[in-house]
Amino acid sequence: MTGLSRRRRLAAVAVIALATVTGSACSSSGDGGADGGAYLVWDPYPQFADDSEWVALLKKCGTSAGVTVERTGYDTTDLTNKALLAAQQGNSPDVLIVDNPVISTLAEAGALTTTDDNKLDVSAMEKNLLGAGQSNGKTYGVPIGANTLALYYNKDVLTAAGVDPAAVKDWTSLTAALTKVKAKGKKGITFSAIGTEEGSFQFLPWFWGSGAQLTSLDSPQAVSALTLWTDWLKQGHAPNSVINNTQTTSWQEFATGDYAFAENGTWQLANAEKLGFSYGTIPIPASAGGPAPAPTGGEFVSIPVQKKTSRYETSQKLVTCLTNADNLLTTDTTLSYVAPVAAVQERQATADPKLKVWVEAVRAAKGRTGDDLGTKYPKISEALWTAVQSALSGGKSPQEALAAAQTAATTR
Amino acid sequence: MPSTTETSTAVRDQGGAASAAPPGPPPSRARRPSRWWAWGFLAPVTIYLAAFYAYPLYRNVELSLREYTVRSFVQGGAPFAGLDNYRTVLTDPAFGPTLTHTVVFTAASLVFQFTIGMALALFFHQHFPLSRTLRALILVPWLLPLIVSASTWSWLLNSDSGLVNAALGVVGIDPVNWLTSPGWSLTSVIIANVWIGIPFNLVVLYSGLQAIPTEMYEASALDGATGWQRFWGITFPLLRPVSLITLLLGLIYTLKVFDIIWIMTKGGPTGSSATLATWSYRLGFGNLLPEFGPGAAIGNLLIVLALIAGLVYIRIERRQQLR
Amino acid sequence: MTTSTPRAWWKTGVGLVLTGLMLFPVYWMINVSFTRDQDMRASPPHLFPTNGTLDGYRAVLDQQLPYLGTSFLVGLGTVVLTVALAAPAGYALAKLRPPGGPALSFLLLIAQMIPGIIMAMGFYAIYLTLGVLNTLPGLILADTTLAVPFAVLIFTAFMSGIPDELLQAAVVDGAGRLRTFWSVVLPVSRNSIVTVSLFAFLWSWSDFIFASTLAGGGDYQPITLGIYHYIGNNNQQWNAIMATAVVASIPAAVLLVLAQRYVSMGVTAGAVKD
Repeated sequence: MTGLSRRRRLAAVAVIALATVTGSACSSSGDGGADGGAYLVWDPYPQFADDSEWVALLKKCGTSAGVTVERTGYDTTDLTNKALLAAQQGNSPDVLIVDNPVISTLAEAGALTTTDDNKLDVSAMEKNLLGAGQSNGKTYGVPIGANTLALYYNKDVLTAAGVDPAAVKDWTSLTAALTKVKAKGKKGITFSAIGTEEGSFQFLPWFWGSGAQLTSLDSPQAVSALTLWTDWLKQGHAPNSVINNTQTTSWQEFATGDYAFAENGTWQLANAEKLGFSYGTIPIPASAGGPAPAPTGGEFVSIPVQKKTSRYETSQKLVTCLTNADNLLTTDTTLSYVAPVAAVQERQATADPKLKVWVEAVRAAKGRTGDDLGTKYPKISEALWTAVQSALSGGKSPQEALAAAQTAATTR
Repeated sequence: MPSTTETSTAVRDQGGAASAAPPGPPPSRARRPSRWWAWGFLAPVTIYLAAFYAYPLYRNVELSLREYTVRSFVQGGAPFAGLDNYRTVLTDPAFGPTLTHTVVFTAASLVFQFTIGMALALFFHQHFPLSRTLRALILVPWLLPLIVSASTWSWLLNSDSGLVNAALGVVGIDPVNWLTSPGWSLTSVIIANVWIGIPFNLVVLYSGLQAIPTEMYEASALDGATGWQRFWGITFPLLRPVSLITLLLGLIYTLKVFDIIWIMTKGGPTGSSATLATWSYRLGFGNLLPEFGPGAAIGNLLIVLALIAGLVYIRIERRQQLR
Repeated sequence: MTTSTPRAWWKTGVGLVLTGLMLFPVYWMINVSFTRDQDMRASPPHLFPTNGTLDGYRAVLDQQLPYLGTSFLVGLGTVVLTVALAAPAGYALAKLRPPGGPALSFLLLIAQMIPGIIMAMGFYAIYLTLGVLNTLPGLILADTTLAVPFAVLIFTAFMSGIPDELLQAAVVDGAGRLRTFWSVVLPVSRNSIVTVSLFAFLWSWSDFIFASTLAGGGDYQPITLGIYHYIGNNNQQWNAIMATAVVASIPAAVLLVLAQRYVSMGVTAGAVKD
């Protein structure tokens, strides 16, 4: 019966393992929670490991405020739920860095403190960027960096097709350029029209560039913008895959060297240097010419509501440190973002002349939740991307799709 | 291959007696009174269920019966709304198509997963060199995080740079917009889901096959039964309890699937691949401004669907035992 | 095993082809893990990573190994806890037919339908009060909820096939119920134990939602969270993501193959001795 004794031994192992599981579960209760000396920081930058400059900066700011900082990087799509859940359980981090349209949602939930409570100084920040963090006259956070969209172009493809990028000034000249490119057997333009916030973000420059407003999704201008995209797909200027493209996928398409243009963001600058061809950028043209207003992207630093209001003072020091001029320069350089402060923008543009286009684009850009849309924006945005998807996939005409979107955005 | 032969000996030990009587105790035994002490064996799992499932379930019901906004989600005090959230969902124009997609997605996934899984299980049950290693390798898709496997599928099915369309091009078929046309998106997510589900069916059915005593096959081989006759005469009936549970679990998992669809198509374009599970997720978590109430209501509707499936299962099972 | 060898090898051929078909997407993942950014969306796609890059793997080997260790511990813990909870329950439901048993099976069915994210939210609230967020046992316990209802149902289905005569014989020999369970039921249920263990391991290995909600902030992060290092706010490094998946699945795949070997050897030993 050696078999049996072996089994018994296995069982003993199992029991011990179980005991360890339950036992240590009990013993480790007690520590944990946000009450220690450590200040918790949550950010949407999981790509930065503990040895990165970003984490070093967080630690440094902690030291100068006299506390230790415990930082966690979350996936950005996960962070909103996480922040809401933590707020519900009264367990919010001391400092929370989130994507700018999320600020209005968290503010609506009563999860964030205003600058009145936390005494943050936001006067240096550019007004158009700060807008995304404001609602009803209150400010809920500080931008840590901004990005926006522009058109990247492939110099080789354009030269071969005889297109001068400087001559692309409005929609007509852009479409004409795409036609020439196609005649040379190359592909026109790629963008992201996926059924998420990313899709709306990419469509907005064209939407706003037509003169349309988010309060009226089915205006003739709006229809003209969606018709532009739909026609590009029909005529083969843009690939069918855009309907499911994320901005990364779209960038990968551009990186093959087959495409003349790609609509993409400031954050791709670092990757652009790794392209196997020479590239340039131009602002996204408005329908009638001139640069179209692009939406601002980028994250905000906020101070969530705490039970112990005495913590705000230190949190405020931390945030002030993170958003002082020198630190902004470091952070935004690592993130490939444009700084939210004019003086720092100048320094960035001097250090890297390629950033000049982007600094200008960010200055002309517009917040999505601005125009006092606040928490109405998510609903509108969902209706908008749904309309883009149904028109591009051929389900509905642009007119019908946007009419349905307007109904969806205004009901409930 | 000494190990294989001995494996079957071991299995024979267990099944030898089973060949005399069909599985399942005779009905008279089931009616013997006072079996409460058996709860001693059930106690751990019962406590576990109460401790870890009751609260989330309660919470999901509670979410669906109140009118939650982000503010009341965090601050509390959401007004009781009765069945309003259910009404909202049921009268939504998207409800009909989404329910249809759910049914099609679930039925098609189950049929293909089960048939292919069964075929592979039968095939690998014939021991041949490398059979065990290959069978273990087929499980590898399960080791991959869903974000990776689902992304790989959307890679393969990409309209412009996908391998599937490139392969179709070689044989002269026009590219198909697998993920981006409303007509194909549901098919595409079904294909990916079937692929992910095959290993599960294979493993469970294979274990079921191993429990069938080899004497039964040997006897029927003497009778001169063909392979097909053996399958329908021996394998299939003896595999019935395991097949039933595999299908039931498959049904429950498939009803619940949202991540594969979410990663591949986000339920789009224009809701053409949305199921109740993705819809629930989109409402509750896939949005900047969550609508917890309707999201939870859909989640509970799914639970009701699973309940119905469970009732059907229990009926079938009971009928089998009485037979 | 009287089958002639050529016939068996022919089957091996078919088996290889079938496995190859099933694993093709896995091959594609490996292919992408070696691909440079500019070739990822090449049209037509490259079947082989010509001009491949090892950047993805460099990143992974630098950063990901600790996560693998955590995943293993969590996986093993989940297996042990799942079997310990579910096997007795399956035995009771299949053979002892306690009053209220069907109701319990029914509850187990419902339990599996609760959306993962709702489960995770519930656990978050519970763990926060207990103070076990970001601990290994906490994550193991949560991951078992993925497998326990399944395991009970599977054990019930398989154990109901154990002949009653076998159990009665044990009782006649003077074995108590516990003893019968331990030395008769468990040994003949090896197959189902292996099946359950496999799935418990695989589910916890690929779990993301519990990991992210319950362990996202701590020192014990499994490999599914490690992948998120390459999924930035606006940008994803796909070759590194795929490389992580490859690196993560190699040891686990080896474990799968070895486990199956070991288990059938165990069966052999038992059979010879009995």
